[in-house]
Amino acid sequence: MKKILLLLFSSLICLASYGQNTGRFTMKGIVADTAGAGLPEATVMLLLPKDSSLVNFGRTAKDGSFEFKNLRRISYLLKVSYVGYLPYQQNVTPNDGDVTNVGKLDMKFLNQDLYEVVIKTARAPLSIRGDTVEYDPRAFKVPPGSTVEDLIRKLPGMQVDADGNIKAQGEEVKRVTVDGKRFFGDDPKMATKNLPAEAINKVQVFNGKTEQSKVTGVDDGKREKTVNLELKDSHKKGGFGKAVAGVGTDSRVEGKVSYNRFDDKQQFAVLGFGNNTNQSGIARNDYQDFKGSQSFNWGDDGDFGFSGGIRYFGGEGDGITISPSYGSGSPGFTKNWAGGANYNYDTKKTKVSSSYFYNSTDAITDVMSSRDNFLNNSTFKSTDKNITKAFSGNHRPSFRLEKVLDSLNTIILISNSRINNGDSDYDSFQQYFRGGDTLSNRSTIDNSSLYNSFAMSNLLLYRHKFKKKGRNFAASVGYNINNSDGSSHLNSINEFFLDPSKNSSINQQNETESKRNQFKGSLSFIEPFAKKFYWETFYNFSLRKDEVDRNVFDVKDNDLLGNDFLTRYYTNDFTYNRLGSSVRYSNKGLNISLGLAAQQFDLKGKFGKDQTSTNFSYVDRSFFKVTPNVTLNYDLKQNRYLFMEYGLSVQEPTIADLQPVVDNSNPLNIVEGNPDLIPQSNHHVFAGYNMFNPASFTNLYVNVNYSYNVDQIVYNKTIDENLITTTKPMNISGGKNYGTYVYLGFPLKKTKVSMNVNAGINFRDNPIYINNVINKTKTDAYNFGARLDITPSDFFTLYTNANWNIADTRYSINTNQNQKVINSTYGADMNIKMPKEIYFNARFNYNSYVNNQFGFDQKQPILNLSVYKIVLKNKRGEVRLTANDVFKKNLGISQSATSNYYMETRTRTLSRYFMLSFTYNMRGMSASVKRSNY
Amino acid sequence: MKLLVIMFFLSVSVAFAQKMEGEIIYEKVTSWPKLYGTLTYMSNEERDRIKQTWGDDESKQEMRLLFSGDKSFYTTSKHLDNDAGWSWNDKEYKIYRDMETEKRTDIIEMLGKIYIVEDSVRAPKWKIMNKIKEIGGYMCMMAVTEDTVKKQRITAWFADNIPLGVGPDLYGGLPGMILELDINDGIVVTTAKKIEMKPITEDINVPKKMKGRKINEQQYNTLVTNHVKDSFKARRAFFWAMPY
Repeated sequence: MKKILLLLFSSLICLASYGQNTGRFTMKGIVADTAGAGLPEATVMLLLPKDSSLVNFGRTAKDGSFEFKNLRRISYLLKVSYVGYLPYQQNVTPNDGDVTNVGKLDMKFLNQDLYEVVIKTARAPLSIRGDTVEYDPRAFKVPPGSTVEDLIRKLPGMQVDADGNIKAQGEEVKRVTVDGKRFFGDDPKMATKNLPAEAINKVQVFNGKTEQSKVTGVDDGKREKTVNLELKDSHKKGGFGKAVAGVGTDSRVEGKVSYNRFDDKQQFAVLGFGNNTNQSGIARNDYQDFKGSQSFNWGDDGDFGFSGGIRYFGGEGDGITISPSYGSGSPGFTKNWAGGANYNYDTKKTKVSSSYFYNSTDAITDVMSSRDNFLNNSTFKSTDKNITKAFSGNHRPSFRLEKVLDSLNTIILISNSRINNGDSDYDSFQQYFRGGDTLSNRSTIDNSSLYNSFAMSNLLLYRHKFKKKGRNFAASVGYNINNSDGSSHLNSINEFFLDPSKNSSINQQNETESKRNQFKGSLSFIEPFAKKFYWETFYNFSLRKDEVDRNVFDVKDNDLLGNDFLTRYYTNDFTYNRLGSSVRYSNKGLNISLGLAAQQFDLKGKFGKDQTSTNFSYVDRSFFKVTPNVTLNYDLKQNRYLFMEYGLSVQEPTIADLQPVVDNSNPLNIVEGNPDLIPQSNHHVFAGYNMFNPASFTNLYVNVNYSYNVDQIVYNKTIDENLITTTKPMNISGGKNYGTYVYLGFPLKKTKVSMNVNAGINFRDNPIYINNVINKTKTDAYNFGARLDITPSDFFTLYTNANWNIADTRYSINTNQNQKVINSTYGADMNIKMPKEIYFNARFNYNSYVNNQFGFDQKQPILNLSVYKIVLKNKRGEVRLTANDVFKKNLGISQSATSNYYMETRTRTLSRYFMLSFTYNMRGMSASVKRSNY
Repeated sequence: MKLLVIMFFLSVSVAFAQKMEGEIIYEKVTSWPKLYGTLTYMSNEERDRIKQTWGDDESKQEMRLLFSGDKSFYTTSKHLDNDAGWSWNDKEYKIYRDMETEKRTDIIEMLGKIYIVEDSVRAPKWKIMNKIKEIGGYMCMMAVTEDTVKKQRITAWFADNIPLGVGPDLYGGLPGMILELDINDGIVVTTAKKIEMKPITEDINVPKKMKGRKINEQQYNTLVTNHVKDSFKARRAFFWAMPY
């Protein structure tokens, strides 16, 4: 719609501010080009000269004229902008009359070179202040190591000749200053030839006063081209470090050092610690500081498709890569040493990271346990007193490269290794009692072992994005090694008081070499269709080869005699193929995915006495399984979230369970393998709902879960008349587990007192064989917990919690062993900030464990206290005095009850000690009584 | 007593022979490590850790601004870094401006509710700086202001030859369209990627029926101020519950 043009001659919108003072005035003027022609539709702005605040604005009429009426009688900064012209500005002070006419304002044409090149091509903000043109060097890429001269060569409107003489807008540059100061004399080339381009924040070009007029103080009116180089504040470089040292009673010591150095592309970190206070793992924060930008890399396993497949490698002791430790210290008494270095190089295109880390733990575990065993119709008791002294050392080198080839292709190469060596000494004294206190048999065991292992995991991952958005292809290949070589001596004396003819003594030497190699590969292709659907097709392949050579010798009078019964050589080839597909619908917060996969396991085993055996037995098994998978995630309005998952996961038997080898290293507890095992599978459903009200900080979470086991691998225990237990894995179906959990958190007084309560119910049904009879264990567990956080101020906080757990266990055999366990814990964490940067922290934990069946009632109060003071300039130091387990009640007691035994264990462990420690942190200590939620 | 009187010699639209109509597609980039850096209750150590671990981790969201004559409508569009195509529930965010009647209508989901802010348009106190740059073919001037409610430094780049004083989020009141908006020196930067002058078919009038709680600007400011204050006291990140 066309509006009336007639009014244009006087058109102007005008926002005027009224004050109470009188004497208002009108400002008039005409905006024109250098030729004097009026410029219509130019933007005219009135600013306050002191801070450039916008007071009023309007547009010029057809003839370039403008008028602001009813203005306060103060000075203004008049600013005019017109496309293709340099912004114009002028100070206006009103004259005495009602109208102040500023006359004709000549707009200068914006140099087309400058406009096109700087503003359009480089998209660089060009700053113009009067006659000063300012360039932002970030927009003009020069190779690393370039000088300022190379940079200036790239700036539009500037030229550098072969001798390094600079011209700006056609005029010779007479002077180059750095931060407004002369740089080593008058030669303008000194600075430009010597300073690195990357140290420059801004390049300014202007007409400066001549040296002559500066010296004389008389402005001769002459101007000469000057270039000023503004240096960067910081060069985005830095370093920080932290060191902690502590000494305590009971000869406890701990120390930790970390240092990081970084710039915009590189991160370098070192970390080292040592202690005898059971801190064997890397604390989470230390881990993150150490690994930096490489702390978390998802999808680095290169396994595509929905989960529920098999786990390839794992559960075999320490991981190949370092990982943060979340739990509290280890049990027993340990001496720990660890240290390493990490280097990351990160750019948008290339990310390289490599690290090396060593850790060692020397542990003494002194355990006393007593155990009540229930047979089909009788019971017996066993006690065990053992000490293990173990050393383990791990070297972990790692490397990762991520290279973005172009906008569509990325490759990732990962190689991690672990070189591990260790030894252990195990001494044990075991006694078995029948019918109360009648000693039936007794074993004295003295074993020792030495081992080395080498594990390596290599992966190459390729990702390709297609031009069509959402269409993706990915492929990965991996090669993993896990080899170990160990030797052990087994010594034991076994006495059977009821049948002395069975008395035996074992003196054996065992040499085992195990090699495991795995080659694996995965493919994935994702195709989007019909806008809201994504269709993924995936394929996984794995070929694992195990080779184990175990040579056992009986030691007789310093001679080694081969033990044919225990000596074994075997190989296992395990092939896994999975082909699957899933379709996902994603729209309006709803994501629902349905998938199906077919998996094939092929297991080939060869067993004999040794490599040269002529009498091999073979195992050749294949299993085929189809596994469905359904997931649903629904992000509802107002912070509500619904999720559901159903899957069938399949797990193949472990190598140890499959081998038909009898392990009699403990003569009273013989472990046998079962080559007939088939994979276990598990149907599981998990669903939940989450709601958060950010206004009131109220949070609700509910979930339900159900799982059902098919062909579950359980350990069948057969106990003979001499109380020798033989354990053998077998498949069994019918085990299930289901329950629900509810959590509700809400503030009682916003930001001061908040509370949360949670309740859980869980029912478990566990079948197991005892003397070849199925025994079903049903456990009903009820859990209720509450937390109260009191955070009234920045000087005092108290966090309390209570938790009650009731477990009701019933057995189908030995129903008189049915038991109810009530476990209650109460905790409080109090923080006080006192004057002079002194802080106090008290943590109290009270644990009560009651078992009605065994009349067990244990109460364990643990109190830890610490007081610390922040010292040094910039809060860089902290002196801390800690009292650990003030009441000396950490007795390392634990109980466990299953269908066929009840066991109580005491592990001697670190109890009361006092420690004085000092921390130095270059970035300052952060003492606070409040916990953060972010 | 201060009273701001708006004097219309003629409305802006009259100045142009034709009604200005078109669509601007913005890209809104949020830098998470920088955003966490604003949580003053975190220690230097914690902030450095986030910066070192997450580098320049950012998320990109497409925003749309439709305008016709004196009216404009700004809202969320798709997520740009979502290759896998996951869908989640975008919070309601619909900003209507009518510069003729000087009326604002904002439908904003925050604090777990949908609020409808209805009031007259009030421009923040802009300062016009001496910097120019080009965005999508338009020469833009730089203007700065401060959000006194959320305590943010705002930098806007506006094109004075699109003479409609609106822009991303709740900002406007400049002599031209804001084509880039920078909150707190790069924490959230919303930049125009496509500027099209074309007749628009979508209805950009304030819908007749709106679900939500009606409040005015004063009440809106109070809600935001209190939540920011409470969150800092409770050591929570306030920006999960409302647009930053």
